[in-house]
Amino acid sequence: MMGTLTLARLEMLRVLRNKRYLIFTAGLPAALYLALGRSHGTSYGVEFRAFYMVAMASMGAFSGALTGNAQRISQERKDGWVRQLRISALPASSYVIAKILASLVTLLPSLVLVLLLGRFYGGVQLPVPSWIIIAVSVWLGSMIFAALAVAIGYRFMPDTVQPMTMLIYLLMSVLGGVWFALGGTMQKIGQVLPTYQIVKIGTHVIGGGGVPGSAVAIIAAWLAAFVILAAVSVRSTVERI
Amino acid sequence: MSDRETGPAGGAPVVSFEDVSKVYGQVRAVDHLSLELRRGETVAFLGPNGAGKSTSLDMLLALRKPTSGQIRVFGDSPYHAVKSGLIGAMLQSGGLMPEVTVRELVGLMAKAHPRPLPVDDTLRRAGIADLAGRRVDKLSGGQTQRVRFALAIVGESDLIVLDEPTTAMDVESRQRFWDSMRAEVAEGRTVLFASHYLEEADQAADRILVVNKGRLLADGTPAEIKKRAGAKRISFRLDGVDETFLLGLPALVNLEIRRDQVHLQSSDSDRTLYALLDAGCRPRELEVSSLGLEQAFLAITAQDDAVTAVTAPAALRHQHQQEKETVR
Repeated sequence: MMGTLTLARLEMLRVLRNKRYLIFTAGLPAALYLALGRSHGTSYGVEFRAFYMVAMASMGAFSGALTGNAQRISQERKDGWVRQLRISALPASSYVIAKILASLVTLLPSLVLVLLLGRFYGGVQLPVPSWIIIAVSVWLGSMIFAALAVAIGYRFMPDTVQPMTMLIYLLMSVLGGVWFALGGTMQKIGQVLPTYQIVKIGTHVIGGGGVPGSAVAIIAAWLAAFVILAAVSVRSTVERI
Repeated sequence: MSDRETGPAGGAPVVSFEDVSKVYGQVRAVDHLSLELRRGETVAFLGPNGAGKSTSLDMLLALRKPTSGQIRVFGDSPYHAVKSGLIGAMLQSGGLMPEVTVRELVGLMAKAHPRPLPVDDTLRRAGIADLAGRRVDKLSGGQTQRVRFALAIVGESDLIVLDEPTTAMDVESRQRFWDSMRAEVAEGRTVLFASHYLEEADQAADRILVVNKGRLLADGTPAEIKKRAGAKRISFRLDGVDETFLLGLPALVNLEIRRDQVHLQSSDSDRTLYALLDAGCRPRELEVSSLGLEQAFLAITAQDDAVTAVTAPAALRHQHQQEKETVR
């Protein structure tokens, strides 16, 4: 356990030493919010500035969990780091556990930054429990994408991973209604995506409602699916490490 | 085959392969391999391209499963032996975590080891104390190799497995590496290393396993391996060289003639030489010498391949590099 936690700590240090990652995950959502966060209008029945805060927080979290992790895992398999860990005394599960722990921790700056901007730049006023629900749903929702990153990183080579995660990122952003609110057919399609449901929890809570059970169910289903996919990927590549 | 049935410590062998095979589709990478390592031995694993060395080490380290047969390490499964820190290993194909310092990386592996040694000690023993604060991804090939070695000795592992440990090291680093290796052995550890530097195996190992096509061809001390290849080299000058006559000499293995200079290899140098003298020849500048391990090794594998072993060592190394590439 000590080894796994040390590995997780090193993973976090690496991420925080990587400027490009920080700019992409924390810088981009914050910059977009600064650019558009004071626009007027309503989306999904709440003020745009509140919707956009939830949307940007979600985007930073899931893009960070997906793109960074998938690329690194794939590259580290190729470079033999995963092999090196396999021949060490570290438990077999350490690598994946450390990746997910590190991912959860390193997403916090981006999440906190966007919520702070929402509060003090966008002027979003919410009771404390609502803030907590929004933060926790976005934060834990990112685990779906950390699991997907493991599945992709274990199965594909780095040069395939790059366009693949980019495509998933675009689909999840646009169809999930993260970049702009959806309507009509697009919304019907988008509803099945976890990104849509994460944003939905946020807007529901902001609108004074509770957490929709259907959203939680859909998110849980995606998480279960990607965790299984990740486990299958890890198992099936055991002899190809 | 081996004359070391009784290890100093007795008990279970450090490593045992019992009739181990590994098959990939049509290819039999390891073919009914059986061997045992005893405590305190330094064993070299030698073999040409595709001999199954890497696959064997991979199976020993639980990276791959044998298709059939059984591997035990201290009487336990390879996986358990690795995870309980009984084996410290260094693979050619092992990568390192980038963006962290050498000390952070060595510290991580020490934390994971059930019987860790102080990180400063490990850094010193691996000769990388001066690199402690450097970032792992900013090191040269030889330095990276020493960091890999440090990871193999972060704890008190009883067996150290090294795959081509001195690749990418210059002569001086190689010397230092084997000096530190000898210190590990002096503490009672068992060392198994694969190498393509035959002179290195000759100097560092007290036992050599020669493998080819996944099978064990020879097992013995470097001296025994050289003897096993059978041949001695006889050189002399002779006026009026008669090639047909020389080819008729007993126990002749190989013959080379350059004007009056004759080099021949014989599986029984005494008989060959007496026959030469009995025929009335009076060779000058006569020299009888043993084959080096390199020729012995080539001779053993060539007997097995049933092809002439004229492959230059450089070509052997080149092939080996290619093998490494494809393993990745």
